[in-house]
Amino acid sequence: MRRRHILGLVLVTAISVAALVAAFPVGAQQRVILRFSDWHLTEDVWNKSLTEGIAIFEKRFPHIKVQTEPVSYREKETKYTVESAAGKAPDVMHLHAFSLPAFYEKGYALDLTPFIEKEGKGFLDAWYPLPLELVKYKGRVHAMPGDYMTMVLVCNTDMVNAAGVSPEKFPATWEGFLDFAKKATKPGQQWGLGMVGAKDPGFSLRFSPFLWTFGGDYLTADLKRSALDTPEAKEAFAYFVELSSNHKVVPPGATSANPQDVRTQLAHKKIACEIGSGWTAPIVNKINPDLRAFEVLRAYPLPVKKKRATAIWLSSWIIGPNTKHPNEAWELMKFITSKEMELKWFKDNRVTSSRKDVSGVAPEILNDKFAKVIAAELPYGKVEPQIREWPEIMDVFTGAVQEALTGAKTADRALADAHSRINAILARRR
Amino acid sequence: MCLSVATARSTSIRTGYLFVLPALLLLLAVLGFPALWSLGLSFRAEGRDGFSLEQYRLLLEDSLFHQTFWNTGLLVGLSVAAHLGLGLAVALPLNLPLRGQATLRLVALLPWVVPDVVAGIIWKWLYNPLNGALNDVLVRLGLLTTPLDWLGAGHLPLVSVILANVWRGFPFVMLILLAGLQAIPRERYEAASIDGANALQRFRHITLPGLRKMLVVSLALDTVWEVRRFGLIQAMTQGGPGNLTEVLSTLVYKQYFAFFRFEYASAIAVVMAAVLLIVSLPYIRMISQEE
Amino acid sequence: MPASDDRPERAGVRGGEGQRARAKERRVGPWLFRALVYGFLLVMAIYVLFPFAWMLSTALKTESEALAIPPTWIPRTPTLDSVIGIWVRKNFALYFFNSTVVSLATALLSVFFGSLAGYGFSRFRFPGRQFLMGFFLATQMLPGVLLVGPYFKMLNAVGLYDTRTGLVIAFLTICLPFATWTMKGFIDGVPVEMDEAALVDGCNRLSVFFRVILPVLGPAMVASILFAFLLAWGDLLWALCLTTSEGMITVTLGIARTVGEFRIIWPMLMAGSLLGGLPAILLYLFLQRFLVAGLTAGALKD
Repeated sequence: MRRRHILGLVLVTAISVAALVAAFPVGAQQRVILRFSDWHLTEDVWNKSLTEGIAIFEKRFPHIKVQTEPVSYREKETKYTVESAAGKAPDVMHLHAFSLPAFYEKGYALDLTPFIEKEGKGFLDAWYPLPLELVKYKGRVHAMPGDYMTMVLVCNTDMVNAAGVSPEKFPATWEGFLDFAKKATKPGQQWGLGMVGAKDPGFSLRFSPFLWTFGGDYLTADLKRSALDTPEAKEAFAYFVELSSNHKVVPPGATSANPQDVRTQLAHKKIACEIGSGWTAPIVNKINPDLRAFEVLRAYPLPVKKKRATAIWLSSWIIGPNTKHPNEAWELMKFITSKEMELKWFKDNRVTSSRKDVSGVAPEILNDKFAKVIAAELPYGKVEPQIREWPEIMDVFTGAVQEALTGAKTADRALADAHSRINAILARRR
Repeated sequence: MCLSVATARSTSIRTGYLFVLPALLLLLAVLGFPALWSLGLSFRAEGRDGFSLEQYRLLLEDSLFHQTFWNTGLLVGLSVAAHLGLGLAVALPLNLPLRGQATLRLVALLPWVVPDVVAGIIWKWLYNPLNGALNDVLVRLGLLTTPLDWLGAGHLPLVSVILANVWRGFPFVMLILLAGLQAIPRERYEAASIDGANALQRFRHITLPGLRKMLVVSLALDTVWEVRRFGLIQAMTQGGPGNLTEVLSTLVYKQYFAFFRFEYASAIAVVMAAVLLIVSLPYIRMISQEE
Repeated sequence: MPASDDRPERAGVRGGEGQRARAKERRVGPWLFRALVYGFLLVMAIYVLFPFAWMLSTALKTESEALAIPPTWIPRTPTLDSVIGIWVRKNFALYFFNSTVVSLATALLSVFFGSLAGYGFSRFRFPGRQFLMGFFLATQMLPGVLLVGPYFKMLNAVGLYDTRTGLVIAFLTICLPFATWTMKGFIDGVPVEMDEAALVDGCNRLSVFFRVILPVLGPAMVASILFAFLLAWGDLLWALCLTTSEGMITVTLGIARTVGEFRIIWPMLMAGSLLGGLPAILLYLFLQRFLVAGLTAGALKD
């Protein structure tokens, strides 16, 4: 009986002491804890790279401790939305460009303009103008640009040779490309091009180049109406759909194929080409090392119909509006997007930077077989319309592409329906 | 001692409430606020305060909502019917003293242990026309000459989604029905056998009536659950191709987390809940009625 | 479908007669009937096991072989790398602990309160009974997607955000009504004479519930416990939004993380899914003894 009393007393004391220690950390120096969330934290290679970066940061700012909060790629918007709505978002978050307008409008991204002004004039000069435009909302900067890449055509040169085309003289027009794709296709065994047709964030990156190189666009210049009724848009849409329906130069199952499925096809020599970027070769190499991706694959600018164009991948960083440590969060963000770190991200992960003083000058990038093609296309890069309704519009549009691909509707019908539904969405805004 | 008959009635009413109370309070405490919050949100125009029927007006005009509504009816109807049919068809033999009964029961329960999101991811891969296991096996067995595009050809995606959904969902119904079969007192069968009833008669006059309550329970719960089912379809098709497999739960998710239309998503959810409630009224009456 | 009619007549048979009866209970009906039943169960087993065969095969492959076109069924270079990897490279031991605690707590609480409420609904005729039954079902009709936002705010306000307790409370709102309905349906089938006999013996209602009803609820409890356990185990959305620190990650969340932006680590995904199912299977194996062959006369007479 007595022993139990003593035991209880010891326990209570231990717990109280532990609680006290936890509540008042030893030492006068209060460490600031920053919550940092990024989908890359769930990926082996990136995670290692980021962890190393954070270690450098913590050494330089001993009073800051960075607490990482991994989130999977698909679920990040869901999680950030719930947390932001409750005022408990992480201090620094990583997002796609296409989620930005909604986050700005809902007030989920802190206004960074005061910090930038404090950094002094010319701070932003290091970045390319286009990404800078995308991180602004009503004239104020709400995010910092991160990775910045153009989409290019990535082809297996062995298969290009086998189709009787010299990799040095790869077709530069879509007509020429179709001829090549037919030659590279052996029904039931291999195909000329891999097609992403699933409802996936990767779809528009790989479809937009068709639309834009044909001279069409999704919306009118004032972003108020759908522009899918133009002859250029119809032609681009029909070309894309017929690759599958008429010419059968893409593998079956396009409507459920996401970028990873298509990369798998490339890795196993089922397709000669796909639309990809800097990340393609390393991942394909991982899927099938026997392919020797870095030697066999080659990047080309996208074929052209009317004008040279390509889609841009941009990621960006935002600070949660309810952060208790805005200054420290800004220090972290400045560090992540610094010249030094952007070069590290390239070296470790092969993503090119939105900083001119990295992507435009670093010998590592300019001498890289893939990165140099991607960097050279940056001036022709274009982004999807930055409006809050964009995800909804893209959903409608992807649905239309799928309906045309499965034959549920003719290409014309599907596009016309999408046109009117997108107009209805935009009308709601006015 | 036993209670006297006079006081039994009033006490029994109070005792009834007491048994139900803990569960009721817990539900009210946790669900009250979210339910009212969602309801309130649905009567709000985006970006403006004050009462508005704007979202419901948009809902009436939205052709996607209409299509999704009927899609949901079709997919849920077929899935629930298949769950019940297969669940009963498997529960009946698994209630017999068969050799290997325990193993077979475990096998029939296995799909249930796979989280439904994961089930969706796995089935999507099985259906892949290039490296999917299902096509591979069917072609090797000579049942198919060329691989099928299970999630892309014509109306096949509907069948494919239901096939995956039945796989994941029937064990749950099977187990409820198995429990129901076990609640039927054995004496009734013995008495019927003595009276000379044959197997079919015993099934019709004892098994089915004895199972009625549990059939209704599993029908009601499964319907409500299938309308809510989200992870499986989201992982497999995200409502595609086109809007062929779009259902209310994926639409609500999309409107809320991808399009950031919180008010509109709430309105869809409120309509969904109202329709479900109306549909389930007969079940509620049936299950609560006295013998 | 002819059915659960040829029940073994275990009650009342003794000695040699029992031997013969037991021999007979293995032989259910004529051989054609048995062949049909086994044939049907075989088809069911193939349908159920096909995806599992693929999961197992994939879990034992290297990452590059998993994506081979055409697919291979027997791994060319079998490896336990993924099975080990989820414990070593990912923190699955911790995820298992979290999921087990949350799922078990959800299951036990919902079944306990659910059977109390189910008994109340089944045995008492009080005003508003039908309304309340409807209310319990109606709580399930709002989609979880919509509830998660308000839940977050509530849990945050009371300091339960990012805790296992918070998750249990959220899951209870689904499992409790479910358990109530299942229990109510089941108790309806339990003869009222059992309660009455005990009441005559001087028991009060609570002890009738604990001593007489609870012991025969086995089969319905198996269904409810498994439902609650698997729901809490397999949920992704709520676990994702209502927790955030690494210490609170559940197994399903851990599995979902193998689906990255640029790559899906298939062998790890499959290994995680297969191992993630084990606790539920063990739980079922433990519970299956309650899946008895029907209520016996004995239960009534005791």
